[in-house]
Amino acid sequence: MLPLLYVVLSAITADPAVWRRLWTTRVPELLLNTLSLSLGVAIINLTLGVSLAWILTRYAFAGSRVWGWLLILPLSIPSYVLAYTYTYLLKHGGLLEQAWQTIAGPEAVFFSPFSFAGAVLVLALNTFPFVYLLARSAFRNFNVSFEEVARTTGANRVNTFFRVSLPLIRPSLIAGLFLAILYVASDFGAVSLLRFQTFTYAVYQQMTGRFDNTAAACLSLVLVACAFVFLFGERWFRQRSRFYQTTGRYRKPVPKPCGPLTTLLFTCYLLLVFGAAFGLPVLLLIQWTVTAASAGDISHQFFGYAWNSVSLSGLTATAAVLCGIPLAYLACRRRTWAGTFCVQGAYTGYVLPGPVAALAVLALVSQTLPQLYGTILVLLLAYLVHFLPAALQGMESTLQQLTPNLEEAARSLGARSLRTFFQVTLPLVRGGFLSAWILVFVQCMKELPASLLLRPVGFDTLAVRIWLEASEELYQLAAPPALLIVAITIPVVLLLMRKDQT
Amino acid sequence: MAALSLPSGGYADDPLIVYSGRAERLIQPVLDAFQVESGITTQMLTADSTALINRLQMEGSQTPADVLITNDAGTLERARELQLLRPAVIRDVENTIPIRFRAPDNSWIGLSGRIWVIVYNTTMVNPGDISSILDLAKPQWKGKIAIPSAGSVYLQSGVSVIRAVQGDEVATAFLRGLKNNAGSLVYGKNRQIVAAVARGEVAAGPVNHYYINRHLAKHPDAPIASLPTDQGKQGMGVVLNATGIGVTAHTKRLTQVQALIRFLISPKGQRVFADVNKEYPLNPNVTAAPELLPLQNIQVASVPLSRLAQLRDPTMTVIEEVGLR
Repeated sequence: MLPLLYVVLSAITADPAVWRRLWTTRVPELLLNTLSLSLGVAIINLTLGVSLAWILTRYAFAGSRVWGWLLILPLSIPSYVLAYTYTYLLKHGGLLEQAWQTIAGPEAVFFSPFSFAGAVLVLALNTFPFVYLLARSAFRNFNVSFEEVARTTGANRVNTFFRVSLPLIRPSLIAGLFLAILYVASDFGAVSLLRFQTFTYAVYQQMTGRFDNTAAACLSLVLVACAFVFLFGERWFRQRSRFYQTTGRYRKPVPKPCGPLTTLLFTCYLLLVFGAAFGLPVLLLIQWTVTAASAGDISHQFFGYAWNSVSLSGLTATAAVLCGIPLAYLACRRRTWAGTFCVQGAYTGYVLPGPVAALAVLALVSQTLPQLYGTILVLLLAYLVHFLPAALQGMESTLQQLTPNLEEAARSLGARSLRTFFQVTLPLVRGGFLSAWILVFVQCMKELPASLLLRPVGFDTLAVRIWLEASEELYQLAAPPALLIVAITIPVVLLLMRKDQT
Repeated sequence: MAALSLPSGGYADDPLIVYSGRAERLIQPVLDAFQVESGITTQMLTADSTALINRLQMEGSQTPADVLITNDAGTLERARELQLLRPAVIRDVENTIPIRFRAPDNSWIGLSGRIWVIVYNTTMVNPGDISSILDLAKPQWKGKIAIPSAGSVYLQSGVSVIRAVQGDEVATAFLRGLKNNAGSLVYGKNRQIVAAVARGEVAAGPVNHYYINRHLAKHPDAPIASLPTDQGKQGMGVVLNATGIGVTAHTKRLTQVQALIRFLISPKGQRVFADVNKEYPLNPNVTAAPELLPLQNIQVASVPLSRLAQLRDPTMTVIEEVGLR
């Protein structure tokens, strides 16, 4: 929260000439780009997410359960890794263009990855699981009676789907889209490699291309303001659309068995989506890693980078959980004015994209403790500002499920508050806190912009290496660290989803 | 790991800390050669040149950096003006590197030169049709040229020189034309522009000369050639920029820094820039790679490198106002 104030302050006190320059030259374009990118991604996400969820909840066919799991895996690929594999696949004369030319004739050209279409494609493939997951659980808990009523009153299948089923799961769809759009608007990695100008990318460019950070602060302010409008908009929307089960007649949907033709059709579709979002990129990474390894390009430094990433992410995750305990406790047990203020303050990190978080921490440190600059602590602080909200959310919901009666019982039996916390509360919420730790750990492993801007000398992380090599189009050299990050993230994604389902 | 602790300040056998704004693969070979020669190890932090200046400013006297290497002399001069660099006495430098390629107090020293030329596809372009870099803005090139992105230091120094010689209006009209003609063909890397021209995707584009020679070294049959523009009596000359190295104001390892700089300007160090990178060595006793046009035969714009520093910020504003990506 404090770091954010510094950004706001330096933006407000900025020379009006800087504001004028930004409004006339950058802001309209950035606004248009960010909005149209979000919209494009949202449309593809809706189409993919809803259709996949519908197929996998309403039809039973060979492998449908496995597909349900596989479609979560795209979440384990960082956006910049997906982007860099696609700059290879989509480049002029690249694999996809060659394939396309055998179908559509030798003159056919594919769209460039460095375009609006390229950015939409990469980010949609990276984020559709958000919508898919929420749509799937909504379709699963769906009361089929509504559809049956529609059908008996004469509506056909298509009509029923669009006028009954879809509107009923609207809250889930909006929640999924909200996550996806927040991700797109704060993404730095993919848009920087695809050179598509959004607000987040522009903040970074102003920080690295100009000799002062005022313009970056101004753009950050606009971005954060938009994010707040968006946050409140979503909350308002969600409150307006709530559906309740009013009668006791509830029937779960029963998946329909499929014939061989439908099975084939579905499998092809699923394979296409999965291949584009996960299969093909990962195969490429494996191939490049093998090439790099056999050429002796994986140096001993690689393990140093891996250790940097792991140790820093571990430290941050531990710090986040330790900071989160009192905050989550305040939020759940002591609802005071000051407590709410602290907690809401910590949540502002949510709407700070990486470069803005870095800028904020930079401003704070330079004003207060300049000697810390260039040390690992600054980077840790930036990670913390950025990822504490994610930890907090998990920990808060775990604490909320624990009834205060248990603690009160311990207290009434004579235990002091500290003892109560360590002997009663902590053992009961351990699982939730552990998953908060893992969540922060994985986010830190993938973090790019703040690491680029704030890393100390000799402290390149895996993400930084991927980005540096990928922006030089040295595909083979970027592949080993990318593959390692994906490998570490996959079990975590699956673990979190499993928890989600039980 | 050692990196997790706070920086401990310079001990003689700690690696020399190099802040570098150049692509790693263009600078690592020469640092490796230095280590073999002297036994002094180096550690590099690669980032955008401007970001490194901002960083040096923030770090102040706490900076771990010993030297700053950039791909733009203007950035080094800017660092000197901000008192981020210190004067240095380096043996041989006065009679090795001409005065126009270094700061008068030797706080920064040019290492290698590059000229901003046009790369063209020999099957698509008659070189006689282009005499000035400004010609690329003419409507006949619509859809046929590729240009660097707004963040490119080369574009910035090129525009700075055009502004200094011909004024802001000419520069703005030039950028408008470039933007119209290139459309979406905006590339972040010179290498990509050269590759696009070689494939015939576009006919021409402005790049640093050595990207053309590096491409030809790998693909000798590529249908591309390099065209130095604005020659002749009326011409403003090609834009020449230099990469260089600056001595940071707070370095505690001056002896090692001096050794590094002496190596970089020595024939051995200069040969790496000439042979591996295909740049122009700034030590006149070292010849450029044989496939390059000798620098003496090229007319170079008369704007001193140190002026690029003052021209930079207004140039960025001009580029942004035109709305280049």
